[in-house]
Amino acid sequence: MNAEAQTPIGDAWEPNILAFCCNWCSYAGADLAGVSRFQYPPTVKILRVMCSSRVEPAFILKALKDGADGVLVAGCHIGDCHYIDGNKNAEIRINNTKKALGKLGFDKRLRLEWISASEGLRFSEVIRDFTEEIKKLGQNPVKEVKK
Amino acid sequence: MSNVQSCYQCGKCTSICPMRRVSKTSPRSSIYNANVYGLESKDIWTCLTCGLCPQECPQQVDFLNFIREERQGKQPLDIAHLGVFTELANLSSKLNGNIADKPADSKIGFFPGCVDSLDLFLHDVKTNFGEITTSSVKLLDKLGMKPQLLNMKCCGHDVLWQGKKDIFDALKAHNKKYIKESGIDTLVTSCAECYRTFSKDYDLGIKVVHISELLDKLGLKIDADVTFHDPCRLGRHMGMYDAPRKALTANGVRIKEMEHSRENALCCGVSNFMNCNEQTKALRIARMNEARATGAKTLITTCSKCLAHFNCLKTEKDAVNKYDFDIVDLSVFLARQFGEPAKKEQASAGSSKPEV
Repeated sequence: MNAEAQTPIGDAWEPNILAFCCNWCSYAGADLAGVSRFQYPPTVKILRVMCSSRVEPAFILKALKDGADGVLVAGCHIGDCHYIDGNKNAEIRINNTKKALGKLGFDKRLRLEWISASEGLRFSEVIRDFTEEIKKLGQNPVKEVKK
Repeated sequence: MSNVQSCYQCGKCTSICPMRRVSKTSPRSSIYNANVYGLESKDIWTCLTCGLCPQECPQQVDFLNFIREERQGKQPLDIAHLGVFTELANLSSKLNGNIADKPADSKIGFFPGCVDSLDLFLHDVKTNFGEITTSSVKLLDKLGMKPQLLNMKCCGHDVLWQGKKDIFDALKAHNKKYIKESGIDTLVTSCAECYRTFSKDYDLGIKVVHISELLDKLGLKIDADVTFHDPCRLGRHMGMYDAPRKALTANGVRIKEMEHSRENALCCGVSNFMNCNEQTKALRIARMNEARATGAKTLITTCSKCLAHFNCLKTEKDAVNKYDFDIVDLSVFLARQFGEPAKKEQASAGSSKPEV
């Protein structure tokens, strides 16, 4: 993702969130949110992956390094994984990545959420909530140092 | 600049190259391609930078420097674990980072290296890397040194050898500032790679010590047979063969040398997280077989990467029962003789261990 690929709305700064959504639950959940016209801020860019455990720590670190203000990883609820226990592995991975990011002060910019295909409303709530939190945290410090 | 022009293509380097046994890698032809055609050959990425070939070279070509310079600014062929450690170093190099706010009370600084991120991202390996730090600090305390833990960024060894000098320079600038502010005059590391980087690539102006140089004064009486694996960074890069052995023998440990040891030690196969594939696995197996042949119950090394790679092999299904010896770090081995680490220490060191 390009650091310049922000979503400018007027002059105000808006967060730039990258969301990895699993194909079977969360992506369908995002779809449902759209179909049901649940409103959520246009701060998120959705990237479809086959399973939340496909998301390597390296992807998250690379996104943050390149200027993403937040990274959301969304998968099926525990026990509902299409690949039986993919999301359990994802939980271990993301939690470990969070700990590694904690040393750099980035741990609040990474979030792991379980969103099922029927939870369109929850998807919009998660995005709204995460956007608010990122707004409080401010811009990714990588970009500030660059300037 | 490396004196690569003086190569006369005798091919001694290729005949000694450990990668040559398992692949078509040829140090000779990579020099030839660069010198004659100015071509970039694939071999600069498969090189392990283990340092065996410069020892054999009659013209004393600085092959390691050549590889490092050739790699700069180019896209690596492959980085193991999708380059997660590179990305982490890259991210931290872009941040301001904290600087030691007050001069240390202790003149000795201890740098733990990247044990934290190894624990977090290599949790499959089932090795407690954090114990290296707790053990080292414990041993230094026993020696009455009371070190100050340095909260620096990564030393930048991996990114430097992966051809990302811009990241290395950013990390180096921060770390040098940190060390200057903290006011230490001796930097102790427990990692062979950190030791090599701080002493050769940093020009710090302070004393850089590997922990194995200090451990011979512990005065322990250990009754054990061990074998020692020379990490390339400590051995051939820094020429330190005797210090870790002395640290063991002075404490009563008997060392059973492997078939290839000291200057001729085989590489663990995966230096600076560049390659992890069938070829490097074959090298690991060769080294593990040598260790098994000695009959020692413990394999000791001083590099956290060698430790990770050997232990990783042990987690594989067909190798679980084959290698029935422990693989531990030198300071962990010695610290364990003072009794098992307390539960609290273990929890803090291995807090990242997920329950699978």
